[in-house]
Amino acid sequence: MVNQSPEYLFGQWLDNALTEDERSAFEALCVSDADFAARVATATQLNVAAEQFSPPPMPAWDKNATFIAPDKPKWWQWQGLPAVSMAMSAAAMVMVLSGFSVQVEDGRVTMGFGQSVSSGPTEAEVAALVADRINDYQQANQAMFTQYVNALQQQQQESSTQLAQYLLKSSRQERREDFAELVQFINQQRDDDQRYYARQLTHLQREINAIDDGYTAVTE
Amino acid sequence: MFEKRDEQLIEQALKGSKKAWFALIKRYETGIYQYGIRMTGTPHDAADLMQDIFIAVFKSLSNFRGDGSFKAWLYRIAHFRCIEFYRRKRPDTPLDDSEELSCERPTPEHSLMSDITSQSLTNAMQRLPLTQRAVIELKFFGQFTFEEIADQLGLSSNTVKSRLYSALSKLKLDLEVEHG
Repeated sequence: MVNQSPEYLFGQWLDNALTEDERSAFEALCVSDADFAARVATATQLNVAAEQFSPPPMPAWDKNATFIAPDKPKWWQWQGLPAVSMAMSAAAMVMVLSGFSVQVEDGRVTMGFGQSVSSGPTEAEVAALVADRINDYQQANQAMFTQYVNALQQQQQESSTQLAQYLLKSSRQERREDFAELVQFINQQRDDDQRYYARQLTHLQREINAIDDGYTAVTE
Repeated sequence: MFEKRDEQLIEQALKGSKKAWFALIKRYETGIYQYGIRMTGTPHDAADLMQDIFIAVFKSLSNFRGDGSFKAWLYRIAHFRCIEFYRRKRPDTPLDDSEELSCERPTPEHSLMSDITSQSLTNAMQRLPLTQRAVIELKFFGQFTFEEIADQLGLSSNTVKSRLYSALSKLKLDLEVEHG
């Protein structure tokens, strides 16, 4: 059943969607309804006018006023942040649950999951390694102590020799000084004795002279 | 040269590319200006309306989801801005099919129109109520389907067809008056 409504047929015609039956009804309406035909003519006229429409020239208008530079989103407003955060959390959970471990040894970084992955030495190997290390350490210490004792002994000997030489030297000098003092004392004693004897002689000479003078006077 | 699609230009404009935004404007400014001429009747008002429309479009650009064509979305905003334009011009006038929204007579600025037919058509359209004028504009000049027009104006398709049917009757008489 064809919709005979003028508005419907008109709309279908404008949308270029008339079926054969609708087209027949449309054409019949154009013939029978002058008002409808006038609308069709106006629509056709409008289509032509739309194609030929010549507006005044485009004015110079401020396009810059229409552009409002958007604010750059801050880094914490980055839309991927929640996703990255979620991924990091998931990764952390996986690491915890799977026993993820990171080992740093001799400048090497070893990462692994669980205990089995850590391909390190066994306990016996570790014990042997530790024993070797301790042995090496003891030997090194022993050698160092020996060397230290030798050095100490040598230093002791040198010190003893130096002390003995010093004692000898100092006792020799003391004896020399003692002798010098003794000689000086003896010399001083001799000087004193000489002075004493000289005074005694002088005194004796004076007495002899006095005696002599007395004798002379008596004799005269 | 291959022209960038509207969606690409929009994406770049949203990232702050003024060049992309101007390219988008260049693509549609003539159509929007002509829309403004036919909807307002004067080049001056058309230029103001065009600027209003593009400012509104830029502000809402992030809301464009790409469900339909950018052109349809642009003309929907243009229609709202046009209603707002008339609301500002005549704040107390209800925006229905009343004759109050039509221009009483052509302004001297119409003489700027180079073509007599275009001038007559523009003058005749100014005598139509805004809602009928919008339907005529979008159907014959915007080349939209009834469904698209209905979507843009927030009406049913049948209402749009009915308004167009009524508008054509009135427009025919007005064009006859124009041609004297």
